[in-house]
Amino acid sequence: MKDPLPFDHRPDPVLGRALREALDAGDAQVFTARVVALAGQVRVPSWDAVLARWARAGVAAAVVVALAAGYLVGRGTAASRTTVRPTVSDVLIAPPAHPAEVEVVLASVIGNN
Amino acid sequence: MVARAVAGERAAFGILVKRYAGVARRVARAVLGNPEDADDAAQDAMLSALVKLEQYDARRPFGPWLLRIVANAATDRRRRRTVRRVEPLDVGLTAGGPRPDTTAERRALNERLRQALAELPERRRIAVVLFDVEGYSHGEIATVLGIPEGTVRSEVFHARRRLRVLLADWKEEG
Repeated sequence: MKDPLPFDHRPDPVLGRALREALDAGDAQVFTARVVALAGQVRVPSWDAVLARWARAGVAAAVVVALAAGYLVGRGTAASRTTVRPTVSDVLIAPPAHPAEVEVVLASVIGNN
Repeated sequence: MVARAVAGERAAFGILVKRYAGVARRVARAVLGNPEDADDAAQDAMLSALVKLEQYDARRPFGPWLLRIVANAATDRRRRRTVRRVEPLDVGLTAGGPRPDTTAERRALNERLRQALAELPERRRIAVVLFDVEGYSHGEIATVLGIPEGTVRSEVFHARRRLRVLLADWKEEG
């Protein structure tokens, strides 16, 4: 057996054969027959069952999204209702947002003369 | 063959089982040690693979996909089973000993190798078995173990260094 090279990329046939012999359990046919017999009893999910499972997940996700959207819309509506709307008297009493334009004042003075 | 098995053809699945039974049992035994436990784990893994065949990506090689299931099944079984006390490896055994020319000596060597394997970390055991016994590439073993390829190289190197001590003075007949 050769001295091992670090990270040798080739399998070591001597070590491989020794390990194979040490790990071999024999009776491959018995094992295979047993697994194949049990496989006959295993229920493999059919495509429609898989689809149905995904459909259930999809419906559940859609319900969650709808509930979240409903909550957000409801919260937005409630917030807009609580906003204070100014009354007519408030608008009349309140000072104008913009000061009177100088040109308008001058024009009215000149017009009076 | 895999496609036929996916399509529900049980005979095709039987052929796959026959083809991969050897490697699956050896990998499971490398993890579990006990041959009966190993066969149970390999069997569970094969049946689990049958159920999961729909999830298999046909563009990738089948062997690593299956062996990942096998390795996981063996690991799960090892964790579940009663913890057995591991006897430390006999120093006299690891130091070589007489050449195993006879059947009894071969059997002793096999036992020594199994004990030495049992002392290695689980990932290292699987890596060296898949690389040196089964001929899988580092990349494929990385897929099986879910670790980087460089780590696989390191695991194989350390496992070999340990196991080669046992075989240092042993030469194959013929």
